Parts: sequence; C-alpha cells; structure tokens
Amino acid sequence: MSESTFMGVPRAKISWAPVIDYAKCTFCLECDKFCPHKVYEVNREERRLIVAHPEHCVVFCRACSKTCGPDALSFPNKAEVTERIKALRKEGA
Amino acid sequence: MKHWGILPCNGLDKPVGQLAREIALNLAQDQSKTLACPVLLHSAPSVYAKTKEETQWVVLDGCNTRCASKLAAEMGFSVGKKINVTKLVEKENLNLGHSLRLGPEELALAQRSAAELAAALPSTRTEGEEEAAVVRDEKAAGETDLDFPASLTYTEFRQDKFRFRVPEGEFFFNENDCWVWVRGTRARVGVSDYVQQSLSDILFFSPPEVGAEVEQFGVLGTLESSKAVFEVIAPVAGRVLRVNEELEGSPERVNENPYEQGWIAEVELTDWEADRELLLDAQQYLTYLKNKVADFHV
Ligand code: SF4
Ligand code: SF4
Repeated sequence: MSESTFMGVPRAKISWAPVIDYAKCTFCLECDKFCPHKVYEVNREERRLIVAHPEHCVVFCRACSKTCGPDALSFPNKAEVTERIKALRKEGA
Repeated sequence: MKHWGILPCNGLDKPVGQLAREIALNLAQDQSKTLACPVLLHSAPSVYAKTKEETQWVVLDGCNTRCASKLAAEMGFSVGKKINVTKLVEKENLNLGHSLRLGPEELALAQRSAAELAAALPSTRTEGEEEAAVVRDEKAAGETDLDFPASLTYTEFRQDKFRFRVPEGEFFFNENDCWVWVRGTRARVGVSDYVQQSLSDILFFSPPEVGAEVEQFGVLGTLESSKAVFEVIAPVAGRVLRVNEELEGSPERVNENPYEQGWIAEVELTDWEADRELLLDAQQYLTYLKNKVADFHV
C-alpha cells in the first residue's frame, strides 16, 4: 500500500516533488540511489534523470537534495503548499 | 583533555572543495589543532588511531556529497562542529566560477570563516570541568517550567530487527515523524523512533537558532548520520525558546530515546489550535506508522 493521502488530502492534489535543474545535474544518480520511494526514473540513453512519479515523493521531505553535490534539486515553497492543503481540507469538509 | 582536530574534504577537483581546504589551512595555523588528511585517513586509519581518542573534530564538507562527514562517521570520530562550504558560499552570495584556483575574494572568505569558526569552538574542557558541566547541565535541564513528564509509557511494536515506540499521552505528530507535547502556550518538539531508526547512528545535530520564528512544517534543525541528513519538520509554528544543548555533544541521545533525553527544542506557540488540525494524536500516529513500516523497510 502506498500512502495515497497526506493530512487527509489526496496525495495527487498536493504538488510536492523535487525539481531538477538540468544545467547543474551531472547525472551522478546519488539522489536516485538514496530515495526509497521510486520518485525518479533514469533514462540511460539520454543520460537524463526524470521525476517520473512526483506523487510518490513524501510531502515536505527534501532529503535527496542533501545528497546532491552540485545542488541541482529544489522544492516548492512549503508555506504555499501548507495553505493549499488547508484549503483542500476545507473543500472536503 | 580533548583538543580540536580538522577534517576537510579532499576537495581537489571542485572550487568548493578548494575553499574547504583553504579554510582548513587557515584553521590549522593554530598549532594546537591537528589537521587530518582525508585520503591518508581513509587508506591508513591507524595513523590517526591515537589522535582520534583525544580529539573533537571540525568537519569541513565542500559539497553535499559530504565525503568528510561520511568519513568521520565511518571512522567513529567525535564531531564537534561542521560546515558545508556550498551553503557558506550560497549565504555569501559568491559565485565561485569554474577555476580551481581561488581568487582574492575567496581567500578572504576562507580567512574570515576560519576565524569565525575558531572563535565559535568552545574551549576544550578539562575532565574536572566536564564533570562540573554535567552537573550544571542536569540542573538546567530540570529547570524547565514546561512540566514535561519525568517518565513516559510507550506502546511498541517490532518490524524485523527494529523496535518502534510511540509514547502514550498528550503527544501529537505530523506525518513527517516529528512530535510535539504542548503545555499552555509552550511546547517541546522532537522526532519519533522512525527517524532515528532510519538514520541509524546520529553523528551530528545542527540546532535551530534560539529566538527564530518557525512556521508549521518549517525546519527546526537537522540530524545527520552517515546515511542521510534529516530536517526536523516543525509540527507547530512558534518561536524557538530553547534547544536541547546536550545533543550538540551527544547526538546519540536521539538514538537512545528521541522522546525523552533526545528531544530537540522548545517553542512558544503561535497558533496551536490551527496547528493541531493538521496533526495526528498518538493513537492515529501509531496506526500510520505501522502502515508505513510494513510498506517500506527502513
Ligand atoms: S544527485 Fe544531483 S547531480 Fe546527481 S543525479 Fe541527482 S540531481 Fe543530478
Ligand atoms: S524529497 Fe524525499 S521522498 Fe522526495 S524524492 Fe527526495 S528523498 Fe525521495
């Protein structure tokens, strides 16, 4: 079972996942090796890392970015995401 | 009496690495500090076997690969202070460019941050002083008006070789495995067993700044092991009143018990009623945690 809700809101409605800056990414794959949640996919032919399953990313986690030497990973603004979650909870209620 | 040692990353192939080395060189001008060569340490640890016992280390990582930190963890070094040069450069708004030779601006920064670092190193204590400090710290720890329970009871379960405890009583959790215990307008915050089990041996704690205002789900410091860096995700919004200073010298307390001696910080709450709505109570967290560990092996 994968977590399909976060704080009572469908995970799919929350946009939280890493964003890769391809100008910085060196394709070392440390982040992919680190994350156990199958968020990334690797395209070997094009030597390109892809955020294939953003919905698997743990909301508010940024752990993989702390393994990225060239600092190529960024995340959405937490306060905005929190506001969005609160709004979605209200809609649901 | 312990003295300070310096463990930088090797840093030859990156500008941030060169800067880490330069900071290390500046720090090492004070002859009382031992400068360790990371490459030698890696291939011949016995060279440092004796120094290791008597030394508290300043670890200098060039980038987020954290080679120096990982090496310190592998070697069982006691880390007293650390910096990440990538973060430092970011804070200074400095663009290092691609050249491996440092320019005047970078050299000045290296000098400045070495001086700041040296000034921030607590002077090393003699054994007698350490004992006195322990007594004082214990007293200080008792002087909280928070009235945190002296002992807790837990519901626990096992998964493989791991034991997970969830404290009973007035604890609330976020889904990022951090807890809060509230009394009036003040609260104590920490991480759950899940965090300490996933990190395994915690090597370093970077505390939040006392006085800082933190949003709910903001960062209340980080915990670091050889496996990962974990951001403590604030379950509540508030102003940091106090941090658990014991963790700076003994971060392993979080592994021993993250609910009692391994707590992280205390905060003055901003809006507990609103924060509460986004938290799980102990019973709900237990269910959540069971599903999570069943799903995903630590
Ligand atoms: S760790 Fe950073 S550089 Fe390496 S593959 Fe991931 S994003 Fe790219
Ligand atoms: S932020 Fe956390 S969950 Fe998301 S991809 Fe990175 S390590 Fe995985």
